[in-house]
Amino acid sequence: MITSTHYLVLGGLLALIGTLGVLTRRNVVVILMSIELILNAANLNLVAFARELNQIQGQVFAVFVIAIAVAEASVGLGILIALFRNKETVDAGEIDLLKW
Amino acid sequence: MLPALALASFGCVVLLLEFLLGKARAAAARQWILGLSLTGLAVTAWTLWAQQQALDGRRLTAFSGAISVDGFALFFNWIFLVASLVTILISYRYLEIEGEEHAEYYGLILLAQCGMYFLATGTDLVTIFVGLELMALSFYILVGFLRGERRSNEAALKYFLLGVFSSALMAYGFSLLFGVAGSTRLKDIGTAIQAGDLHDPILLMGLAVTTVALLFKISAVPFHMWAPDAYEGAPTPVTAFLSVGSKAASFALLLRFFLEPLGALRDAWQPLLVAVAVLSMTAGNLAAITQTNLKRLIAYSSISHAGYMLLGLVAGNETGLQGIAVYVLVYTFTNLGALLVVAALRSKGAGRGTEEDLNDISGLAQRNPAYAALMVVFLLSLAGLPPTAGFIGKYYIFLSLIQTGHTVLAVIATLYVAVAIFYYFRIVKRMYMGEAAERASLISSSLGVRVALGITTAATIVIGLYPEPFLRFAEISLLR
Amino acid sequence: MNGHLLSILLFLPLAGLIPLLLIPSDQKRSLKLCANAVMLAGFLLSLLLVFQFDAAAAGYQFTENAPWIPSIGASYNVGIDGISLLLVMLTTLIGFLATMSSWSAVEDRLKEYYALFLILQTGMLGVFISLDLFLFYVFWEVVLIPMYFIIGIWGGPRRLYAAIKFFVYTLAGSVLMLLGILTLYFQHAQEYNVYTFDLARLLNTHMAMGAEQFVFWTLFLGFAIKVPMFPFHTWLPDAHVEAPTAGSVVLAGVMLKMGAYGFVRFSLPLAPHAASEPWVVNTIATLSIVAILYGALVCLMQKDWKRLVAYSSVSHMGFVTLGIFALNYNGIAGGMLQQINHGISTGMLFLIVGVVYERRHSREISAYGGLAHVMPNLAVVFAIAMWSSAALPLLNGFIGEFTILAGAFAANKLWAVLASLGVILAAAYLLWLYQRTMLGEVTHEINRKLRDLSLREWAIFLPLIAWAVWIGVYPKPHFDVLDKPVRAIVERVTGGAR
Repeated sequence: MITSTHYLVLGGLLALIGTLGVLTRRNVVVILMSIELILNAANLNLVAFARELNQIQGQVFAVFVIAIAVAEASVGLGILIALFRNKETVDAGEIDLLKW
Repeated sequence: MLPALALASFGCVVLLLEFLLGKARAAAARQWILGLSLTGLAVTAWTLWAQQQALDGRRLTAFSGAISVDGFALFFNWIFLVASLVTILISYRYLEIEGEEHAEYYGLILLAQCGMYFLATGTDLVTIFVGLELMALSFYILVGFLRGERRSNEAALKYFLLGVFSSALMAYGFSLLFGVAGSTRLKDIGTAIQAGDLHDPILLMGLAVTTVALLFKISAVPFHMWAPDAYEGAPTPVTAFLSVGSKAASFALLLRFFLEPLGALRDAWQPLLVAVAVLSMTAGNLAAITQTNLKRLIAYSSISHAGYMLLGLVAGNETGLQGIAVYVLVYTFTNLGALLVVAALRSKGAGRGTEEDLNDISGLAQRNPAYAALMVVFLLSLAGLPPTAGFIGKYYIFLSLIQTGHTVLAVIATLYVAVAIFYYFRIVKRMYMGEAAERASLISSSLGVRVALGITTAATIVIGLYPEPFLRFAEISLLR
Repeated sequence: MNGHLLSILLFLPLAGLIPLLLIPSDQKRSLKLCANAVMLAGFLLSLLLVFQFDAAAAGYQFTENAPWIPSIGASYNVGIDGISLLLVMLTTLIGFLATMSSWSAVEDRLKEYYALFLILQTGMLGVFISLDLFLFYVFWEVVLIPMYFIIGIWGGPRRLYAAIKFFVYTLAGSVLMLLGILTLYFQHAQEYNVYTFDLARLLNTHMAMGAEQFVFWTLFLGFAIKVPMFPFHTWLPDAHVEAPTAGSVVLAGVMLKMGAYGFVRFSLPLAPHAASEPWVVNTIATLSIVAILYGALVCLMQKDWKRLVAYSSVSHMGFVTLGIFALNYNGIAGGMLQQINHGISTGMLFLIVGVVYERRHSREISAYGGLAHVMPNLAVVFAIAMWSSAALPLLNGFIGEFTILAGAFAANKLWAVLASLGVILAAAYLLWLYQRTMLGEVTHEINRKLRDLSLREWAIFLPLIAWAVWIGVYPKPHFDVLDKPVRAIVERVTGGAR
């Protein structure tokens, strides 16, 4: 029997992997993917809780999160392309014009 | 709900009007778009006013409790309105100089304000999240609006990555809170927290992650890294909007979150906020000392301002909360004013090389005495010296700390005023006692800049000299 | 009009800003005339106060009270007693003379220069007449800003450093003072459930010793930095030396008095128990004596004329604080009179340095010598200023320092002995300075061509000399106006409040 706890643990692992990815990877596209992982962890939690609590709200929230994730990705890739046109890199380490 | 509708519909229409500009970028079309955006703000103002009248001290909820229109929300909405009004007024000329006259720009500002509306009114996790993302997505694009310029690209990317990361964390935190409460309403979450076991790992995890995300949004230390980069690289009017609009909206959310669902856990989060506030004041003030870029300096100073505002929440009594409201109000006008002067420095002759650093403002008092004098007023207000508005904000924060016995915090907070004067007056020093830079040219102001400057200056001075009506206005903002 | 005499006096300089700003910047003569006229009008107006002041009446006179920010209990509440009367007169006189002394000394960015002096004048007057602590604090801070610009724009070579040091240093003190004021405000509200900054009502506050000590020490820091007391004096030599002449005159002549005035008006009456604890009194008296002796010794070593005068301020203000914290009638009355004396004599000394500097552009003592041959009039004025500062009988300094010493003697004999050492040292460094600059043969040929005092410069010195002689020969009117307020303070600190 797969309980909510299983989903929660899986969600927690996904969020952890995503966070570690954001903090350690240098390729902007990979960072974006890591962020998507965290969002998906949230979705998983929402749907799992919705099923357990027999509540529709969680699923609705998940749909919103998915839509927002798409919007985020499109804006992010747009910004990345604009940057790529001026400086041909996707390496976060080379984005170094702004520094204190 | 009406203000949001007005903002969203005007925002979308303006967004679609880009084709009117076409290749020719006819001046008439640009003026139409500016006029339409201002009309949108006027309609919003009218609807806000109508709501204010209808409210009469009560609290209205709509969409079965998903949003709540109360004095608190309206107070912040007036601030957002001022922020976008001033931003739009100064943007026209700025975009002209940069050669990036697109209608999207104004559309995005209106949509960002629409997002802020939901941040201030939202009492449901879904509403809050959607509002937050609407605001944030608009800002990512606005920060990177100067497509041809690498600093703007970089700023947008950095802001985007950290912003999306914090949003994702917030979504994750929200999902856990939903699981604990079985509802997305803040009220139900509050009840669940009060009734529930505080050692429930899911609840603790949810609260911790959400708090981190909130601190990211208000750019409090140690989650402040995005702010200096985003502020520096963004077009200056966007910096102004970001530094006051986004900050005020995030504070509205933070306040509602900490006071309503988390009110019962005060003892748990108070030490945490003390640490964050002190760290923000320290890091913000100390890092600002060495900055040479004006926008970056203001960014670091705005981090320290976040620390001051948090102190009001630390005190948590009526004075403290009213203090935050007054502080946000005052900070809005003053920071807008200061960045407005920085934006006005950018002129056609200077070209893209101008980096808004201390050299550009050097000798300003000789070239544009009026602008220099106004900048001094804004900087004094930012530092919190009487008789400017900034003092009234700091006064409330200090008083609330004294009232609640946080004497040591009060001493730290006051001494940082002297530190702040030190770096703010580095700017003054260059304006009044520096030699004029070679490339510096005269400010050629437009009508929009002058009107915006009039609004911000009048507010900064009037609130400083006769704060009474504004204090009464801020009183309505208390969450009762 | 008489009902609003103080308000008119207070806002006259600000009103003067309007015509000043309307005059085009290239009409230098009109700018100067306008600023001088406003300052003169202020001085003449303040004379009305003297004639209408009733020395026999207790309490405040010319009071005005209007609500300002009712939601926090701040009001526009002004009034003067004898102590403030003398300081207001000193402010209007020194302010006017300082403006007049800039006539030929400053030719650069005149409009800003005079505008700043006008703002400064309003700020200083406001400090001395406010009876509401919120109002007082606002004026207290307002004073800092124009002074920063005056030092920073028109000052000497190290002006930028001196200006920001002055600003940050004194601001740190005053924000702490704000905490003290807020604590008092809150304590009063705890007791009476009314939030008010009204001085008269705050005087009724009964605080626990801990709170009272916090109030006392935060106020103390704010005032002590302003006076400045040892060891908070380090901003003073820089600021005084780098400031333009008029700035130094106002700094030394008026702004230092704000600190001593604060002690008497606020520290002592509002926190009488904390202020009269033996260890507190001993600490502050010791610091004052250190300031007297240290300031005097440093003066003996100075090669820079203006720096010498600056350090002599540290020494002389040490007398003032010693007198105040003797906590008896003679000490406080003497201290209050001595700060007027110091304003007169040090104002004159700085003006003299300014006169010489304007002609020769050097402040090195060694650059001068035998000036008495070339500038006999200046030598006479300098001699009077020197004697006044060195406490020679028949001049003002003697009366003030003698009264303080009498007060100090009654409090603690050792204090009086040590402080009188300071009088001797003062005579030593001043006479030596006079000898090196004025007496003997002319040491530098270039100095032979220096012009003597002009008519305008005489006009600046004459009122100060007249006041100095008046106090020296017939001090009674001054003590008369000081009598009532000083008695009230002494009673509050030693008798009634205990």
